[in-house]
Amino acid sequence: MLARSAITQSARCATSQIRGYATLKEVELRLKSIKNIEKITKTMKIVASTRLSKAQKAKAAAKMIDQADATFYDVAKTAEVAEAKESPKHLSIAITSDKGLCGSIHSQLAKAVKRNLEANPTTDIVAIGDKIKMQLLRSHPENIKLAFNGIGKDAPTFYESSLITAKILEELKAQDYSKITIFFNDPVSSLSFEPSTKPIYNPETIQTSPGYNVFEIDPEGKLPTDLFEYSLTSQILSAMAQGYAAEISARRNAMDNASKNAGDMINRYSILYNRTRQAVITNELVDIITGASSLD
Amino acid sequence: MLFRSVAATAKTLPRTLNTISRRTYVEAVENALKLQFSLPHETLYSGSKVNQVNLPAQSGKMGILANHVPTIEQLSPGVVEILEEGSNTAKKYFISGGFATVQPNSVLSITAAEAFPLESFSQDNIRKLLTEAKGKLSDSDAVVAAEAAITVEVLEQLEAATK
Repeated sequence: MLARSAITQSARCATSQIRGYATLKEVELRLKSIKNIEKITKTMKIVASTRLSKAQKAKAAAKMIDQADATFYDVAKTAEVAEAKESPKHLSIAITSDKGLCGSIHSQLAKAVKRNLEANPTTDIVAIGDKIKMQLLRSHPENIKLAFNGIGKDAPTFYESSLITAKILEELKAQDYSKITIFFNDPVSSLSFEPSTKPIYNPETIQTSPGYNVFEIDPEGKLPTDLFEYSLTSQILSAMAQGYAAEISARRNAMDNASKNAGDMINRYSILYNRTRQAVITNELVDIITGASSLD
Repeated sequence: MLFRSVAATAKTLPRTLNTISRRTYVEAVENALKLQFSLPHETLYSGSKVNQVNLPAQSGKMGILANHVPTIEQLSPGVVEILEEGSNTAKKYFISGGFATVQPNSVLSITAAEAFPLESFSQDNIRKLLTEAKGKLSDSDAVVAAEAAITVEVLEQLEAATK
């Protein structure tokens, strides 16, 4: 028993010694890879920072469009009709992007959509962006009716959102849904964002709004339909622009934190590396001196 | 007159303090047309006072002055003319289509997919693109033909406007 434990003890000593020498190399490699990671995260942060100003501009312009739409619905009091409808058929349009590495921004939006799904389990979902699609596919695969990817490479354009709208109108007959909600990330400030929603009203709701008669509208024309299609496009665009701005600033923050963490790790590892190296040198000196003194 | 408006402002002041800042601005100036002209990627006018705006509405060309009846109009491709306060020449923008809403408080909101100043177009380019698009009108692919028809409509308007 004693002999056995002595053997294992000595074996352990041997491995620890081997490890002691190997760590220097290992620490060096580790240090190098962390330095590379830091370089990557720093670059990503700089890229995000340069894109941020463009994204902010797109967000501001998109907000103006939102405002123009919102004032019309405000005056027409469209929301009242939409609220009054019983057992409405819901459609949720959830907007994120394809890219990750930006903190919890996509999962928070997914949570908001899921919370809404708990209240209205029959809601149909349009997922714009791969991230939200993957998250919702796990929990509610049967609710997703349409999904788009290739979103978020650059600031969104009107052309993109018209293509998306055309598909939604064609495949889902969006005008038949009595309640359409867009889920998107609203950049509250450059440091924070908030998943929020906005409603889209279908042609029938627009036409039956109590304040609709305030406006002088040609009764022959199909203005409610046209207005619905146009505002769906512009609202999707503005939600995409806001989501894009939120994502870019979230990515900048995430990459900033990652670079800081990498910096901390580099500090820790370079101290460890220097100490280990010193230990190796001391060991070698001890060996040399012992050898020299044995010759005397 | 001046006294009255001062009195009116004083009366509205406690009320406006409670409302949001945009509202106060709207209430303070009553008799001018305020233009919001926004594109998805840019805001050209954000509530600045103008004398008159001429719009290429689908129901025909129309001019909007202050205190216009609230209305909402779909715009066709054409020129939006803006007569700014204190300037005699109209600013002309060519738009590809959009919507114009006159709110009850004399605010005109124009939203368009694209808008460019009229002088930034080159006539040679328009002509070149027009012949190109006309060639595609009788394409066998229905989508290409439909797109060409829209392009021709826009370009013909543009050609007429730049003459």
